[in-house]
Amino acid sequence: MVDFASTGVQGQAAPPQVSLSAIGLVKRFGALTAVDGVSLEVKAGEVVGLLGPNGAGKTTTLRMLVGILTPSAGRVSIHGVDLQDNLLQAKRRIGFLSGDTQLYQRLTPREVLRYFGRLYGLAAAQIDERIQQLIRDLEIEPFAERPCRTLSSGQKQRANIARAFLHQPDVLILDEPTAALDVVSGQFITEAIRRERAAGRAILFSTHIMSEVEYLCDRIYLLHQGRITDGGTLQEILDHTGCRNLTDAFLYKLRENAASTSRAAD
Amino acid sequence: MRFAIIWTIFRKEITEALRDRMTLMVVVGLPMLIYPLMVTGITKLQRSQAATEDKRVSKIVVWGDPPASLVDWLHRTNHLELSFNVGLSTALQQDLAAGKFQPPAQSRAPAAQAQPVPGSTNAGADEPLVNAARNLFAGPNADAVLVLWPGFAQAISNDGLARATIYLDSVQPSSAKAEQRLADQLATFRKDLVEGRERAHQLTQGFSIALSSRAEDVAQLQRKTGRILGMGLPFILIMLSATGALYAAIDLTAGEKDRATMQTLLCSPVHSLEIVAGKFLTVWCISLIAATANSTSLGLTIGSAVAASGLTLSPWTLLLVLPCLLPVTCTISALFLAVAVLARDAKDAGNFLGATLSVLVIPMGATLVPGVELNAWTSFVPLVNIGLLVKALFAGGAKPEFVFLALLGAATYALLALVLAARVFSQEQVLLGERGGLREMLRPSRRREMSPTITNALVTFAAVLVALFYGSLLLTKLGIIPAMLFSQYGLMLLPVILITIFLQLPPRSIFHLNRPHPRGVLGAALVGVSAGVGVAGLAIRVLPPEESVVRALEKLLMLGDQPAPLWVAWLVLAITPALCEETLFRGFIFSGLRRLGPVWAIVLSALLFGVAHSSIYRLLPTFALGLVLGFVLWRTRSIYCSMLVHALNNGLMVTLVRAPGLPQKLGLDEVSAPPWSLTLAALAVTILGLALLRPPRVATSNQQPATSN
Repeated sequence: MVDFASTGVQGQAAPPQVSLSAIGLVKRFGALTAVDGVSLEVKAGEVVGLLGPNGAGKTTTLRMLVGILTPSAGRVSIHGVDLQDNLLQAKRRIGFLSGDTQLYQRLTPREVLRYFGRLYGLAAAQIDERIQQLIRDLEIEPFAERPCRTLSSGQKQRANIARAFLHQPDVLILDEPTAALDVVSGQFITEAIRRERAAGRAILFSTHIMSEVEYLCDRIYLLHQGRITDGGTLQEILDHTGCRNLTDAFLYKLRENAASTSRAAD
Repeated sequence: MRFAIIWTIFRKEITEALRDRMTLMVVVGLPMLIYPLMVTGITKLQRSQAATEDKRVSKIVVWGDPPASLVDWLHRTNHLELSFNVGLSTALQQDLAAGKFQPPAQSRAPAAQAQPVPGSTNAGADEPLVNAARNLFAGPNADAVLVLWPGFAQAISNDGLARATIYLDSVQPSSAKAEQRLADQLATFRKDLVEGRERAHQLTQGFSIALSSRAEDVAQLQRKTGRILGMGLPFILIMLSATGALYAAIDLTAGEKDRATMQTLLCSPVHSLEIVAGKFLTVWCISLIAATANSTSLGLTIGSAVAASGLTLSPWTLLLVLPCLLPVTCTISALFLAVAVLARDAKDAGNFLGATLSVLVIPMGATLVPGVELNAWTSFVPLVNIGLLVKALFAGGAKPEFVFLALLGAATYALLALVLAARVFSQEQVLLGERGGLREMLRPSRRREMSPTITNALVTFAAVLVALFYGSLLLTKLGIIPAMLFSQYGLMLLPVILITIFLQLPPRSIFHLNRPHPRGVLGAALVGVSAGVGVAGLAIRVLPPEESVVRALEKLLMLGDQPAPLWVAWLVLAITPALCEETLFRGFIFSGLRRLGPVWAIVLSALLFGVAHSSIYRLLPTFALGLVLGFVLWRTRSIYCSMLVHALNNGLMVTLVRAPGLPQKLGLDEVSAPPWSLTLAALAVTILGLALLRPPRVATSNQQPATSN
């Protein structure tokens, strides 16, 4: 098995290439269609925001992108590797972090990191090296040997960031990573995102915090009722809607979408 | 499946699980406490009970006219407290004195006590007295009644025969004790009396008694304790091993969902099968640690207190018990894992597993019942089989045949439970915290193929087997014909039909309801009349059945001790099994196993068919018959043909058993084998019949015969 994490894409020429692309994703749960034809792409070195109200299908979309939900229709490809066809190979190139994720209560952060390093098939020396680096970068040292159940939520989330970045994934998918965090802890995340962008990773994150989107994202997708209602840079979206800030644009789009669906229903 | 990944998951899970105090407490702490407490507790309890009984004075009520010498003699022991004519009405007293009642001629059997046998002259001769005694025993004033029949005193003084009866209530330990004391005292009184008479008549001492023997129960208390412990320990052993797995199963599945770490785990590049394997190994390992801790604690307890406990167990027995617990803990662990992962959160999982555990406890309770032992049926009841196996080992040994069957059965259930767990873990919605539909999980995974899965087939078989076991327990009183009919239609045919409806499978194709080719019918008829004779002839040579098995089979074929009319026998033993057993084995199970290819489908369905007949001696002939039936079905693609073979075969047996002289000639119901000429001729006809078999003229496109294999 080729170690994709280490050989990676650096050797190949002509960035920025599309790291993550999804075409026509649909997810049905029985009679309910949670995601209805979502297509999106994220290029290397780009931070893309997925913005939507509660129940818009953000989490379902992200779960399909990381390969833990099988789409009812549509394809996902990670660096040209088809997710459904080469699930494990594709998963090795994805890092996933969710705001509500806890850690194993009776393991220490170091043990958690070592566990996931093994699951991602990293060599023992590489694991130790990465763990040292992440513990330094994210200032985990003071609590690296404490059981995770004793950590504060900020500390937990830092350990979780380390876990998601451990195998140096080309694509980072973050599901409301700053939810339930204070400003200081949130800062670790935004800094980490900037660092990873600089390192040429493709980052897709969902949130409903507008300010975060405004100062972090290169591009934005607006998701409503399982559909992408708009996409582009912040300026492009403001231009489309004629609004002055993202919050207004977001609300404008929601109203517009609701109106169009009710017209379609009539 | 990559073992390195499974090992990684296992190592992490076991590390985490063993850091949990609750798990440790249940797995190791509890067994270390429970056995010493139980063994010493039960022993102490029994001792103190015996001690209180010894101290307690027995209340004896004397009815009739006692001579002073007897009263004095009974007063010599301070364990007896006498009262006279209590609980006896004046009228009864007068009747007794007047000689209206007779002493019972013989001891009452417990059944006769409840209902006097009409027509028996002697029964009821003392009925009013017995009723008075029963009333007396209901109160606290009497433990036993000593009835002195009229003329007792005169007989004592005049060298006559003095007659007395002791009424007791054996249900009450105090009454049994009173009787024992009273009888002892009367025995010494008699001895003294006899010696006096011998002296008076100048006979040598011992002239009348001639022989004196006395039974001395030296180990009663210990034996009782040992029996109680031996009865309960297998149950406790298995239940505690199961409980050990419970917390781990919850923590590893629903607990991970609670903390949303399951999602993280699923994101990593591992197969869900690897996750379930790693987690299963952890739960199983913890369950085994619990089993080991339990066995060890039990061994140490017995080792240190063997004399006191009365359990005669060698440590080697406990070493044997451990491998028996392997399959049963495996089944429970896989089952727990599958159930726990269905739950949304840990609290839910606790409820689910609590319910599962109680469902397991109820059948396990069967192991506590004294008469229930390992046999051909119980060997296949999940969990109960191992419980009974352990019980048999504690009691000093089990038949190798049943040990094999029980372990085979347990391994099968373990496998099924594992398949279920893997199946549940492949449900992405279930893993992410939603509940998946049960029907979705049981349905064949690929909708296009409208036939049952292998798992469906095996689960159905297991369900029918279990139903037959409990059915046979309930139906024994019904008589052989209703029992046969009920178990065939109600416990075989009906469940298969219900499962088919539940899974929404098309009955026509899975039951092979195809019109047969005329040559197929002809071939089937030839096979039907010859296969039994040929196959049984061969089987008897390979494995001669035991006499008892032959007799039981004969009785079955006769439909009881009184032979039923031939047409009834055909209906019950030929037509009915042909209909029901074929629907199950050549219909549902064969269709499920068909995915493995025709050879495996024929062999495995025949094996299950043989196993269902639940005797190692019938296994071979029924297995062979199953092979023939499977082949007939596969060649003709019509269940009607295999039904015809089955009905003719059984009908022939039923007829032969009734024809006097014929069976002996054919050697079918005798231990000795029939002549080779007959066996070979029958086999030749069978082969001819098999060669004639043809598929139907209009074969549907998806059922083309496989040309190879």
